Amino acid sequence: MARADLMAAAARHRAALAAAALLVFPLLMPFKAIAVNILVQGLFAVGFNLLYGYLGLLSFGHAALLGSGAYACGIVLVRFGWPWWAALAAGPLGGMAIAAAIGALAIRTRGIYFAMVTLALAQCLYFIAYQATGWTGGENGLRGVNIAAIRLAGLRIDLVDPLHRYYFVAVFVIAALFALSRILASPFGAVMEAVRENEARARACGYDIRTTRWLAFVLSGGFCGLAGALQAIHLGIVPVETLYYTTSGLVVMMTLLGGAGTFFGPFIGAGLFGMLEELVSLWTVHWQLVVGVVFVACVLFFPRGVWGTLLAGRGR
Amino acid sequence: MLRPAPPSAQLTRRTLLASAAGAAALARVSILRADEPTIKVGFPVPLTGPYATEAQDQVRCAELAIAEFNEGGGLGGRRAELLARDDKLNPGEAATRTLELIEKDHADFIVGSLSASVQLAVNNVCKQRNVLYNSISQSDQIDALPDWSPVTFHEALTPHMTAGAVGRYAFSTFGKRVVFLSADYAYGAEMVAGFRAAGAPLGIEVLADLKHPLGTTDFSTLLPRIAALKPDVLCLSNFGRDQQIAVRQATDFGLKRTTRIVIPVMLYTARVAAGPHAYEGVVGGTSYYWGIESSVPSARAFNDRYRRAYGNKVPSDYGALGYAGVRAVLAGAKAAGSTETAKVAAALSGMRYDFYKGPETYRPCDHQAVQSLFIIGSKSKDMANAYDVFEVIATDPADEAALQSCAAEGHAS
Repeated sequence: MARADLMAAAARHRAALAAAALLVFPLLMPFKAIAVNILVQGLFAVGFNLLYGYLGLLSFGHAALLGSGAYACGIVLVRFGWPWWAALAAGPLGGMAIAAAIGALAIRTRGIYFAMVTLALAQCLYFIAYQATGWTGGENGLRGVNIAAIRLAGLRIDLVDPLHRYYFVAVFVIAALFALSRILASPFGAVMEAVRENEARARACGYDIRTTRWLAFVLSGGFCGLAGALQAIHLGIVPVETLYYTTSGLVVMMTLLGGAGTFFGPFIGAGLFGMLEELVSLWTVHWQLVVGVVFVACVLFFPRGVWGTLLAGRGR
Repeated sequence: MLRPAPPSAQLTRRTLLASAAGAAALARVSILRADEPTIKVGFPVPLTGPYATEAQDQVRCAELAIAEFNEGGGLGGRRAELLARDDKLNPGEAATRTLELIEKDHADFIVGSLSASVQLAVNNVCKQRNVLYNSISQSDQIDALPDWSPVTFHEALTPHMTAGAVGRYAFSTFGKRVVFLSADYAYGAEMVAGFRAAGAPLGIEVLADLKHPLGTTDFSTLLPRIAALKPDVLCLSNFGRDQQIAVRQATDFGLKRTTRIVIPVMLYTARVAAGPHAYEGVVGGTSYYWGIESSVPSARAFNDRYRRAYGNKVPSDYGALGYAGVRAVLAGAKAAGSTETAKVAAALSGMRYDFYKGPETYRPCDHQAVQSLFIIGSKSKDMANAYDVFEVIATDPADEAALQSCAAEGHAS
């Protein structure tokens, strides 16, 4: 088979390829908890990339979407005792609800102003969570987001077991990736890219720019909210730092490291970042210096990110 | 419960080659040790960030406890090992580190953390997996339900104990007209609650309860207000850099002419960094000061051990907690003759020990270490050497009455 055909087939079945990669990932990886973190942060970066990579809107407030998903899941589980599946559903719904509100205000602006408005609104949410101690646990964070073993169709899934937990999270991440692949392949996905490439032309073609942006923001909130819910279940806690602006910065960094606007890029970025941090911090307390140097080098020499550069090399 | 995997499961090709080479070299000169797994103590502390100085001293002290245990023959020949990890002062990061320590490294015990939110995160991970956790930083909540669990232990003091002891001393010595100035987060709120609880029976008069945001660099808007109230005591419940700046500006402002400044947790490391002038006349509380060695033999033994290992320096207050926290779980394992969580927890509960500061015991209902607390004053003259920064003014002996009652924490007994 010619290489071009192979590439085309890979692009067509990108979600299935990602699924296969995620299913074998824990077998190669000694750090299971880091592996789950990479899954969750990868999904978070995928949600961010939907907005930044495909629509061209740089948000500095995505922590709000991750955090609202995490808190929505955690609060209904801890304070109301909902079953796990309902709590897990509350994550993306919470993310979408907050995204709908933030998006409605933020999409009126663009460029640096969009980044600043999202950052400001996300910080508002952080301080609300910080003060609402009765609901969120405030500075101490929300503890006790613990799910006992789940029985599903004769299977017993024990979330304390690292491998069970990985595959439990992976199932939802893979489902989200299929959904994302479907969205990107849909006419709506094409409109998003049209808006990114040339807003005036897209408007001239009769597309509603504002609705497209708002809808993309809400969808992004859904993915990030799901990531938040999975993180809450994985760690058993929701730290208030989830909503802090450094979390927003982290997702920008991971996406740029992997390659914005590519399907696999965010995951590669999350994986590289997670592994780099883990390995370097075992070796030296000055891990931030090493990670920073790698990031600067990437921005200077691989502006398309690791995966983006590989793709560009192939395409030549 | 998770059990340690057989050693063969953890081997990679590289470690296998390295250990084979090592074993070949060793076999000639000595008999190989019994092939028992080491006792692993996971130690997540913030090695980077604003509390790095304290955390790194905690690791140094914890290594002393490990070495001491191994010198004493370990647990029937089983040696102990410290696995220090950087939790980056972030609860999510700490939870991940703890998960890795339990799931990948098969740690037998977890000791560590240096902030209220981080220890609660670590505790949540440990109790879900039935791994014994000994916390070495201040929190009231970890002793209370729903956070507490039968495998949760707390070697550090609580804000209730600290503010209580400091408050009782300050209000009866300096006067009853009080102003609170605290950092606006959980730490400040818990300390103020502790001061109020201690002050109520003494009949204190709270003139103002002021809060400042975390990371404040200018207190000049608050200080005139405080000066106008002319309180006898200013209770300053903040930490790190905030504390240094507030103390320095209060000194410059002349507040010390009318008012005594009282700090619930006066850090050895912060005082060394800030210098004698800023802290002149300031009174505070601490869980440990190396100077108690003149009257406490176990403190002298601990200090000497530290001096021998680390170039004649002395341990810090929070560092000493690392030593006591690790030594306690290892002593528990020795007493139980096992590393099984339930047996060690049973051995530790109610255990009486004197590791570094006089007699202590883990109260059975909440596993809080009942311990002495020292009221210290900052020295500004007659200092014998660079480490001689505090003088012990009073000692609050280990007494269960200083703790929050079991019932108030939601425990049955």
